[in-house]
Amino acid sequence: MGTQRPDFTEFYRGSKDECLFTVLLSVGDIDTAQDLVAEAFARAWASWRTVSGHPAPAAWVVRTALNANISRWRRRRREVPIPDPAAIADRASADGAGGPVDPRIMVALLRLPARQRQVVALRLFLDLDTGRTAAALGIAPGTVQAHLGRAIAALRADLAPERQQEAPS
Amino acid sequence: MTDEELITMVREQRTSVPMTTPVDQIISRGRAVRTRRRIPGIAGALAGAAALALAVAALLPAGHQAGRQPPIQLDAWTVVKHADGTIVVTVRQLRDPAGLERTLRADGVPASVTFFGHEPRACHNYPLDPALMHRVFGGHGPPLVIHPSALPSGTGVQLNPGHYPRGGPIALAAGLVRASPRCTGS
Repeated sequence: MGTQRPDFTEFYRGSKDECLFTVLLSVGDIDTAQDLVAEAFARAWASWRTVSGHPAPAAWVVRTALNANISRWRRRRREVPIPDPAAIADRASADGAGGPVDPRIMVALLRLPARQRQVVALRLFLDLDTGRTAAALGIAPGTVQAHLGRAIAALRADLAPERQQEAPS
Repeated sequence: MTDEELITMVREQRTSVPMTTPVDQIISRGRAVRTRRRIPGIAGALAGAAALALAVAALLPAGHQAGRQPPIQLDAWTVVKHADGTIVVTVRQLRDPAGLERTLRADGVPASVTFFGHEPRACHNYPLDPALMHRVFGGHGPPLVIHPSALPSGTGVQLNPGHYPRGGPIALAAGLVRASPRCTGS
């Protein structure tokens, strides 16, 4: 098996859920996201010598998965899936192993424009810095910060009031 | 709620949906991907040559514009314009999208071509209309057949060849966009 497998296995186990969630936010369907991420990880394994030297291997996986999804989306002639937060929450609960899914947060995330969602995913879920996020998305660092700022403002507008109402006075 | 609290709350969701595919399954699939990559050097060239020969035999450009390279000399992709106005696009390698774009435009198709799933920023999608898509692009490729006469005024095509997720051959994805000088050249 050589020296690749332990490293890749460790990488897979340590980043698979974050990658899946990141892709899920873009594609809106768990089964599709699972397929895309599994395929992207398989490609990462096949090119592990290169990918393991990437500054952000998880971002490589996500980018590969999303690029594949765009091709598939276009091949389906712009049939845009409509994310269903409730279905995602139900399915995640059924699968068990993860933490609790908050449907309100899922709804708020899925309401964001696609680019803001991508920035949130890379910056907050994959922990990429602004420069790497910009490089991954092919946009300027300033644009990343602008998108993140708008996304946080939108999330705050969606989530903060409910949370404040829940808090004991 | 501070920004940090908000971010922490959102971040907590990132492990809420577990990836359930076993690592062994991923590696098994990775082996298949790696094997497929090693084969194309010879087998792919032979298959490509055979496919090209068939394409040329079947699709020689009766109405192709004079002065253009004949399809046999284009190794990455081929554009053939038929006498009835239909245009057949075959992509074998993801190279020279600008050349493919220029060729399509020269054949009268307002076109934007990008590779690797990159979306052209200057393009705006045309409202989804499956019946119209079918009229413009006909059946399922490959190769892709474009019927320019079916394009409504003010629309163009956006082609995005790329590898399908399963590591298979190049898929020539196509969509309709609003024509504009920055997107489709006219």
